[in-house]
Amino acid sequence: MKTELRGNTTSMSPQNPSLCTTPQTSLLKGCLGSLDGACIEKLLLHCASALESNDVTLAQQVMWVLNNVASSAGDPNQRLTSWFLRALIARSSRVFPTPMNSFGGSSSGTIRRRLMSVTELAGYVDLLPWHRFGFCASNSAINNAIQGYFKVHILDLSITHCMQWPTLIDALAKRPEGPPSLRISVPSWRPLVPPFLDLSCQEVGQRLSNFAKFREVPFEFNVIEDSPSKEHSNVHCDNFVLSQLSPSSLQLREDEILVVNCQNWLRYLPDEQKGNSIHNTSSRDAFLDVIQGLNPRIITVVDEDSDLGASSLTSRITTCFNFLWIPFDALETFLPKDSCQRLEYEADIGQKIENIIGFEGNQRIERLESGLNLSQRMKNTGFLSVPFCEETVREVKFLLDEHASGWGMKNEDDMLVLTWKGHNSVYATAWVPCGFEA
Amino acid sequence: MVEFENPSGLTVSAAASPEASICSTGNQTAPSVAPPRKKRNLPGMPDPDAEVIALSPKTLMATNRFVCEICSKGFQRDQNLQLHRRGHNLPWKLKQRTSTEIRKRVYVCPEVSCVHHDPSRALGDLTGIKKHFCRKHGEKKWKCERCSKKYAVQSDWKAHMKTCGTREYRCDCGTLFSRRDSFITHRAFCDALAQESERSHQTLVVASTEGGLKVQVVPPPPPPASSSPPPPLTPSTRVLSPVLSIQSPELPENPSGILQQQGGTGLTTTAAASTASGSSTSSGNVSSSSGVFASIFASSAPAGLSQSSQSPSSYTDLLCAIGSDRAVAEPMSLSLSSSLYLSNNSSSLFPPSDQDHHRHYAQAPQPALSATALLQKAAQMGATGSNSSFLRGLGLAMPSSSDHQDNNSTCTASQWNSDGKQENNVVASGLGLGLPGSDLMMGSSSLFGNKPTTLDLLGLGLGSGGGSSGGFEAFFTSIGGSLDVAAAAAAASYGGVSSGGGDWDGPSDRKPALL
Repeated sequence: MKTELRGNTTSMSPQNPSLCTTPQTSLLKGCLGSLDGACIEKLLLHCASALESNDVTLAQQVMWVLNNVASSAGDPNQRLTSWFLRALIARSSRVFPTPMNSFGGSSSGTIRRRLMSVTELAGYVDLLPWHRFGFCASNSAINNAIQGYFKVHILDLSITHCMQWPTLIDALAKRPEGPPSLRISVPSWRPLVPPFLDLSCQEVGQRLSNFAKFREVPFEFNVIEDSPSKEHSNVHCDNFVLSQLSPSSLQLREDEILVVNCQNWLRYLPDEQKGNSIHNTSSRDAFLDVIQGLNPRIITVVDEDSDLGASSLTSRITTCFNFLWIPFDALETFLPKDSCQRLEYEADIGQKIENIIGFEGNQRIERLESGLNLSQRMKNTGFLSVPFCEETVREVKFLLDEHASGWGMKNEDDMLVLTWKGHNSVYATAWVPCGFEA
Repeated sequence: MVEFENPSGLTVSAAASPEASICSTGNQTAPSVAPPRKKRNLPGMPDPDAEVIALSPKTLMATNRFVCEICSKGFQRDQNLQLHRRGHNLPWKLKQRTSTEIRKRVYVCPEVSCVHHDPSRALGDLTGIKKHFCRKHGEKKWKCERCSKKYAVQSDWKAHMKTCGTREYRCDCGTLFSRRDSFITHRAFCDALAQESERSHQTLVVASTEGGLKVQVVPPPPPPASSSPPPPLTPSTRVLSPVLSIQSPELPENPSGILQQQGGTGLTTTAAASTASGSSTSSGNVSSSSGVFASIFASSAPAGLSQSSQSPSSYTDLLCAIGSDRAVAEPMSLSLSSSLYLSNNSSSLFPPSDQDHHRHYAQAPQPALSATALLQKAAQMGATGSNSSFLRGLGLAMPSSSDHQDNNSTCTASQWNSDGKQENNVVASGLGLGLPGSDLMMGSSSLFGNKPTTLDLLGLGLGSGGGSSGGFEAFFTSIGGSLDVAAAAAAASYGGVSSGGGDWDGPSDRKPALL
């Protein structure tokens, strides 16, 4: 029984539901598995406060209970719990340093990095409308904004490796007056988060170029290189803001109109106030200032609608648990429990959870901000919101109709919000600098 | 928000009238007086002031329960029946709204194991909860003839029938998509397109089945403006069409699609192909697939093919050959369901990182033990593995851990044999925990600030000492107490279902809240 577990040195799973076959343990496992969401949340909070107060024993006891609830192949609550437990374990291995800390030290934690092929990634982003919603809304807004322009340059800052652009290229190809020339630039740096691709940026761009050529859209693809003198950290990079986003590294051209697309991006820019500088701004604000200075025609900002960057661990646990049940629940409605796609998708969410719960300081790179807060930040920086037109709303609704019927949409204050069974999940917004000069 | 107290796990409405029952006033033995709730907008709870309603399964599943006595026409709502009765000149009466205040209602699922049984996961409209209940817990009576998908709700079935098998898009690689944007995105990155763009630089010689026309293609002809049906395929296909007099814009079956179905070997080939560029790639792909093609053609063996399949050395030859015999292409047809094209094939490429994937978690519906009892058990477990580490026990990988593991297994094996408390040890060792002696465990600290024990459970090398006693009781009281407090304070709490305050201690005759 136990040798089965121990024999596998590379097993990363803390949960082994079918380990022991004695009647007592199956009884125990059975009723432990039936704790509901509220109990689990409280247990998580107890564990967290035990860790914070250095109470090893209590932490371990709670973890033991959670371990028996959790199952990465059970129902949504169990699956969610398994990822939370993993995150807490990662955290505890920092609180109580052990010889095995060597693998717990990196920001990627205990989870293996899984590389996908481009076609797999294309399927991945379509599993739920989670990403497609943002793509659709942004592309539609961009398409409207660049009406009448013949040369367009898109600065693409996202974690989904250009999955957004084929549909835009397709839409541009259908322009009655002919497509504009399109140039897409991506930074060479990307946060170390899933989804991971087995191709380089350049290779992805090559495929996109092929497609654009096929659709007869004049196309150029650039990867913005870092200047070789700067070294950038593995986690996130303030240097990135300065070195890669200058007009010279972007090679901005006079006759081109600039579009900036931030998709699941801003959350990776640290938000702590840097006390010593004159302006006293965070990296995130500095980034927005730089973007504003580039005078873009439109900036699309899409991200998940929750505040997961609070400094209090317990607050993060609660918010995270009450937000990330949404994709787990959505996946449950149409994929079987043992579906590989589902497990992989959930594992990627689990990696996010591990970072939010298990890490602090520089290593905690997931600092998500809700739509409302982001909107306020944009306004404070000097951006005006651009409303989504009727056509865009219709397109997005049409998209959602093709998915499971739990998905819906809200349109409030120039912000489109994807909802699952009424709960906010992803927001999409569009902005233009106050002083935009055409 | 008003909680509904439900100690027995049954829906309250079952005991009361068969109609919708509002559980805000307790009508069973459970105390239902809810202390005033603080308004708090917790995430996950749409409206903290909403009234939570649990309908019976019968109510939810019912379609037309209000029946006209004259003509037996059924209606979903009483209001509709009343309006209908006017037509028969029968006395009718519309119920007035009783309360002056319009209160938002949210609905929970009566199925106790369901996630929507939880008030904070309640659904906002009646139709929604009815559909949910039917879908999740009802019988799937509606079946799609084309793809055999089954639905419990008729409107779901109807919605499916609109798109099933109709507007499907096919990529050259053979994958099917029911949504255009998925198709476009896939297509942009698909290897088939990459190969085509390679080929567009080469000269193509196409052999026709219908009389030896040879067409030479250098640049691909421009694709037509797209309208329905879906956008055009690769240039080579367009060339083929006039030659073969086939007007269909699609090639239904495609050998590389079959490659993908064949346990992923084809995929790996194309994946390998995709990372390199240049014509050598494409020829590599073709040569590896020629064996597959040969076997396919061998199996279908129509007369028409023999003319065209000289040797499957050119991709377009094959396309031509297949295109010319659509009728016999059935054996090669792929029935991939819409956009989940990797649904079960990915297992061959990506062995799951968790061992759990291969295990089926069977949930034993065991009642009886509450969370408190479980934590007590956790504390009571007496195991004496001094070297064992909790985290190790949870199966996390460790560098150079093999000897530790042997130690552990020996340790717990000896625990099994020597320790009298076999029941506890079974639990501990079965779950891979080597927890120190029971007396130390009982002395564990409470949640609220007793001096923490310095048990070396993680193998830290700290001195192990006895902890304060009685801390565990404080822990449980604090849990029970904190639940009471939490239940009162949290407007959006789940508390009503899982914690009648103080009920947590010890196994009780009521079930703990199920998922």
